[in-house]
Formats: sequence, C-alpha cells, structure tokens
Amino acid sequence: MNFLLDLAIVTVSCLALGLASKYLRQASIPAYIIAGILLGKSGFDLISSYEFVQWLGKIGVILLMFYIGHEFNFKGIREPGRLFTGCTDFFVNFSAGFLLGLFIGLSLVEAFILASAVYISSSAIVISSLIENRRLIYPEAETVVWLMVFEDIILAILLVVLTSIMAGSLATIPVCLAATLLLIVFTLALIRRLSNFISPLFERDDEIPILLIFALIFGFSSLAYLLGISLQALGHLLSISLHCHISEIIVAFFLGSALSGVKSFKKLIGATISFKNLFLTIFFFSFGMMFQFQFATLYSADFVLALLALITLSILGKFVGGAIIGKRLHGSLETGLRVGAYTTPRGEFSVVLLAVVIGMETGISELLISLVVAYVIIISIIGSSFAKHGDIIAKRMMVGFNKLMPLARR
Amino acid sequence: MRISELPEVGTKYEIESPKGDKVAVIFLATGEIELYILEADAETPAVTRLTSEEARRIGSVLTGALLTMEREDVEVSFADISDLRIHIHVCPVTKNVVGKSIENLEIRKKTGVTVVAISRKGQSIISPPPETVFEEGDLIVATGERAQIKACQRVILGQV
Repeated sequence: MNFLLDLAIVTVSCLALGLASKYLRQASIPAYIIAGILLGKSGFDLISSYEFVQWLGKIGVILLMFYIGHEFNFKGIREPGRLFTGCTDFFVNFSAGFLLGLFIGLSLVEAFILASAVYISSSAIVISSLIENRRLIYPEAETVVWLMVFEDIILAILLVVLTSIMAGSLATIPVCLAATLLLIVFTLALIRRLSNFISPLFERDDEIPILLIFALIFGFSSLAYLLGISLQALGHLLSISLHCHISEIIVAFFLGSALSGVKSFKKLIGATISFKNLFLTIFFFSFGMMFQFQFATLYSADFVLALLALITLSILGKFVGGAIIGKRLHGSLETGLRVGAYTTPRGEFSVVLLAVVIGMETGISELLISLVVAYVIIISIIGSSFAKHGDIIAKRMMVGFNKLMPLARR
Repeated sequence: MRISELPEVGTKYEIESPKGDKVAVIFLATGEIELYILEADAETPAVTRLTSEEARRIGSVLTGALLTMEREDVEVSFADISDLRIHIHVCPVTKNVVGKSIENLEIRKKTGVTVVAISRKGQSIISPPPETVFEEGDLIVATGERAQIKACQRVILGQV
C-alpha cells in the first residue's frame, strides 16, 4: 500500500533483531534473514510490495560486490604461500560440498551451487570476529584475512561460471561466458581510459562524487542487462536461442576493482560503505521474506539428516583445510586448527550466491533452497562462536590428537 | 619492523623484541588505531583502542620528542610544529646572583637566555618582571638554546 510503511517495517525489525544479536554477541546476518522470514511470505506477511523491498535488496548486493572488488588486491595474492592457502581451502571445502550434494541426490548444477555455498566463508563475520576477539597480532590472522580475499576472487569466478552454465542449453554456455568476459574487459579498459577525467571529479566537495559513483555502478550494471537483452534479440534474428543472463554483480565487482586504481577514489569509500551496509541489511531481510518455508520438508527426517551432514561436513572441511594450511605455512597443526575455527562462519556470500541463482528462475529445487537457507542461518551462528573460541577449540583438539596418536601407533 | 597490508582490516605494523615479546600497531580501516602487546609466554594479548589524537601523543612520548629529561633540563616539542624544540633549564641560584635583579645582571643581553619563572619557597613567579631580585634558595627556570644556557651558567651564575 505504502512504501514508507514497508520501509518502516524492514528497518525497525532489522534494527530490533540486529541490536539483539549484537547484545548476544552473535552474527547479525542470520538476525536479518530471520526478521525477513518472520514478517514476510512465510510469516506474518506484512509487506505490501515485496517487489519494492527486493529492488532495494538488489542494490545492496551490487554495492557489496562493488566494495569487495574495491578491496581486492591482486599483488598481495601472489605472495608465496597465499596461492597454496587459497587453493587448499577451495579444493577441500568445495569438493566436500559437491560430493555431499551428489550423495543426497541433487543434480550436477545443484551440487555445484551447494558446494559454492558451503565453500565460501563470510568475510564480514570472520573479519569482524578477528578484530573483536583481538586476534590481529597472531600470524594466522594474516593468513585468514588473505584467505578471505582469495575466496572473493573465487566467488567472482564461480558466479561467472554459474550464470553461464545455468543460461540454458549447452551451446549457449561459451557465448555467455564470452559475453561476460568481454564486458569485464570493457569495464576495466574504459575506467582505465577515463581515470584522468574521473579523478578530479572525486575531489569535489559537493554531491557530484557520490552521484558519479552511483552513476558508474548503475550504468555498468545496466550494461550487463542490456547486453543480455541484445544477445537475446540477436538470437531471435538468427532464430537460435541465445538466452543469456550476464550477472550485474560481477560487473560491479570488476568496476570496484578498476576504480580502486583511480586517484582520490579512496576518499569516497566511507560513504559507499554506509550505503552498502544499509542496503545489504535490506537484502538479507528481502531474502528471508521471499523464502517459502516448507514446514513439511523442514520436519522430514531426510532433510534434517542432510542438514546435519552438511553442517558437520562443512565444519570438518574448514578444519581439515586449516590443518593443512597451518602445517605448511606456520609449521603448526594447532595454528592450522585455529585458522579452521576462524573461517567456519558462512554468511553473506552463500546467500548472495543463492539469490543470484534463484533470480535466474531456472527451476532450482525447493530442497536445495531450504537446505541452504537453514544451513546458512545455523552455520553463521555456530561459526561465530567457533571463531570466538577458536584458540580454545584448537587447544582441546590438539589435546585430543595427542591422546589418540600414541594409541594409534600402538 | 614488519608492515603488512590486511584488506578490509587495515595496516599492521609489528615488531618483536629479542625476548619474544610482540608489539603490533594496527591502523584500522575505520580510522581508529589498535595497540597490541603480546608478552612472549602470554596466551592472550593486551589490546587498547586509541583515537588518532591519543596515538599521536603516545607516539611522541615513545620517540622521545615530548620530554627529554636530562637532569634539570627539559626539552619540549610540539606535535603540530615538528621542528620547534624549546629547552627549559632549571638551575638553583648561586652566590653570584643573590641580591641582584634580572635587569642588573643583564641576563638576556649577555647570554640570550630568558628567565621564564622563578620558584621561590614552593611558590612560583611566572614571567618575573626585570626588577625581580633573586633570593637565597630560588630556582631559576630559563629558556634558550643549549649553548646560550651553557653561557648563562658560566657567565652569570659563575658555574664551571
């Protein structure tokens, strides 16, 4: 009825649950999703225009990817050890999720989606936990932070692959992939070309700089949409199916990374972060409100078993990956287990990934969606407490190992 | 000193003493500064979060710029004016000056030193007028270049 009422419902409920989560020293992401579930379609159904809230949420995702892209640092990744760390983390956790997905009877594409959601840790939870729990002085904090950066670039790649794979027929996959890559290269080249023109505009003190940022973000994002449309039109002309979805959030990611090289852009990142925080919160809410909770599936024994297996396996995955990394990089198993504990929380990226996939409307099974939503809510809560007590958990595990080792040798 | 860039966190400056104590300063992306101290055998670090103003003050104490106590010699420097150093010297009166005024002694004219205060029986006279007469037991607080203060001690106070 009234968009103001919708906005009030979203912001007030998120504020209340967000504050509650901060008092309980929990991650706030599940709180916002739960607010959405409570007040949205599967709850009290209080929102009058779901579409409107979803639009705002989409802006949040675009801004998140823009911000991640801006923080992305290619030089740092190439330092010794970091590539190894990132790849270990990816192979262990992605394959664990993929195999479990196949095991519970998902299709190849669905297992791929599940694996991506299981693999990628939540930078927001992990990093704020490192700061709040005073871990920054330890050498593994650095490893963890760079692991998050590495996961970001993998996320961009996964998104490109996913959106291309899901475009439809096998023949269109290379076309979609090529179109996406072309747009990325175009974005990077154009910003580089225009940087001398843009950077003096960023130095102004009026509303021009922030306008410029949003003009660039929305401009390039809609370019992705337009390219998709024109490919489809081209397909019509040639009477072949060229149904392509070029993800605007990937373009936002690379736009952010291109702009980080432009002089005086740093001045504005604070303002962009504020917008990102606001709209991303709305995104989590909108994600929760659209979610049709199927209580039948929720209670079925198979679903619960699959969920438990998923949670156990994904926690184990991070610990195994962490242990390998710790042994190789820090020469200590315990340090590795700490890395595992710190990176356990999953959150925003798993949700973003799922939202992108749902947005493509290509028949993802309800089972997968419910599974991932329940998974993210639970693992972000469990994960934050793992991250908080990482040192104690690692120590206990070491004690356990040391007790078991002599037994095994005997 | 190890400097490392931590994306989304900030920049970390880290130093380890031979004993194995670690000190890290982290400039957070939020603009605040965290100071970590981890003793060699400690499990958890001590951490404090500083504003940039507080950090600057601690910084100038650590660099020794703020106050250099050298017997009765104090050097004052200012965070905002990096090249300004003022030496303040405290010295007891000697027989040479008791009963004479600042004006008669021609302290400023002969040595370039300015008497900024006199501490007399636990009370201070700030910016004493030229006609002030020194008394037994006074402490003179004077400013000037190091060389000027040396000259003052030699010529006026008659110290070696």
